[in-house]
Amino acid sequence: MLNQIAFYLFGGISIICGLGVVSASNPIYVVLWLLGALIAISGIFFSAGAELLGALQLMVYVVAIAVFYILIITAVPWRKLHKNEQHNRLIGVTVLPFIALLYVEAFIVGISGVSITKNKIIETITKNYGNAEVIGIKLFSTYFWAFELMSVLLLISMIGAILLGRKEEKTYD
Amino acid sequence: MIESIVSKLLVQNVSQYFILSFILLGIGLFGMMVRKNLITILMSLELALNSVNIAFVGIDRLNHLIDGEIFALFTIALAAAEAAVGLGIILSLFRLRKAENVNEIIDLKG
Repeated sequence: MLNQIAFYLFGGISIICGLGVVSASNPIYVVLWLLGALIAISGIFFSAGAELLGALQLMVYVVAIAVFYILIITAVPWRKLHKNEQHNRLIGVTVLPFIALLYVEAFIVGISGVSITKNKIIETITKNYGNAEVIGIKLFSTYFWAFELMSVLLLISMIGAILLGRKEEKTYD
Repeated sequence: MIESIVSKLLVQNVSQYFILSFILLGIGLFGMMVRKNLITILMSLELALNSVNIAFVGIDRLNHLIDGEIFALFTIALAAAEAAVGLGIILSLFRLRKAENVNEIIDLKG
């Protein structure tokens, strides 16, 4: 009951902030709307009982990635910004039917039905030990290689970002 | 009548999480298409990635599974990698070509 009220509250906030992300014209306001949406989504995670994921969402997204975006916004000068239109209206009107088609497809899949079997073992373990322990056990047994691959991917992307962000003497105008 | 609707809304089921996830995914996709600025396109992409996490967590919550949360964890790591590389590309695009909108990158005459 209380979980459900929290779900509706955070869901409504996230949808409003998502509309703000799409419609706001100033990039600083877009970052602020995105921050609001991410915090609301982490609230949904907390209310759904995924404490580890909610905390990681707050730490990784709301702190690290939002700081990335603000850093880039300060690095790029915005003189041209106020002259240009921020939205491509023609493409927006053209794309709307296709987004509606996505919703029709989701509706059809929802009607035809998908079945998932409940897992009793994980339910008892979660009740006894909590969320983070179960994720740790699964992550280091079943999904070990995926976890290692993800760490290699993060290393590669870090090296790539450093390479892309270095200074070059020549510019191509 | 109204009481039955309210009592139905107060019971948790998977489809509520899916509906919220699909609404946010549609908003993010629409933002990716309609935006001109490169940085705001990436921000809409982050919104779409997050919406998928909501669906994963919703399935986990109501079926007592844990695999969806692990996949959501991987999605967060992937989003961090994507943000680092994407913002590096935007920064170098601006420094080398002075371009910050998608319709200014016309070197390939597309």
